[in-house]
Amino acid sequence: MEIDNFFGPIDIAISGIKAQGKQLELISSNVANARTVDDGKGVPYRRLEAALKYDDEIGGVEVDKIETDMSDFLRIYDPGNPQADKDGYIAMPNVNLPQEMINLNIATRVYQVNVAVLKRYQRMVDNTLELLR
Amino acid sequence: MNLEINRVSNHLRGISDSRVTQPKHAADLGGMQKAGSTDDKKADFANAIKGYVSKVDDLQQTSNMSIKDLLSGKNEDVNSVVSQVAKADMSFKLLVGVRNKLIEAYKQTMNMPL
Repeated sequence: MEIDNFFGPIDIAISGIKAQGKQLELISSNVANARTVDDGKGVPYRRLEAALKYDDEIGGVEVDKIETDMSDFLRIYDPGNPQADKDGYIAMPNVNLPQEMINLNIATRVYQVNVAVLKRYQRMVDNTLELLR
Repeated sequence: MNLEINRVSNHLRGISDSRVTQPKHAADLGGMQKAGSTDDKKADFANAIKGYVSKVDDLQQTSNMSIKDLLSGKNEDVNSVVSQVAKADMSFKLLVGVRNKLIEAYKQTMNMPL
């Protein structure tokens, strides 16, 4: 991480905002597909999660990769459903809605905090420039 | 905004030119480099100011371009636009602050009773 960088805090805060934006995108995808029985390959949708990584160049954060949650699918007993197997069960995505809501709250808060840091840094610089007057 | 930049740059150029006629002041203000004659130092001051102004101008241009790209739909990343605008705003405020201080110093020098 570079030291003595005037715009460093701006870049870092923006990187945090971007990362949380991506997180938000994945959460919305998970929520929207909470009942998707076919992900295009004949199996139910698997929930996605972003793996964040420290960005050594600016000291911020970046989305390293998007990982698929490989935990078991939710099995629902619904014998009347045409897609049910011979025992009457139907496989549903491994999306846990309450958990997604909590993740959504965390992502929103972290986003807000990054915006607050950006604003505060701007105010700090403004205060310093007041000294010139 | 560009007009503003040009005006500031003209002001600063004017100041640096007026400093050329006052070698002592030019030497004091351009004291960033230790080596070289007073002539070099005079040029250094003007060049330093020019360098800073063009840096600030570059930031303004990139922020302008990113705003245009956003509005024309070429780019949809609001975050980088915000970052560019924040950088341009900050550096411009700093430049204006320094410029005002320089003008003030110039006025004080001119009002000095001889």
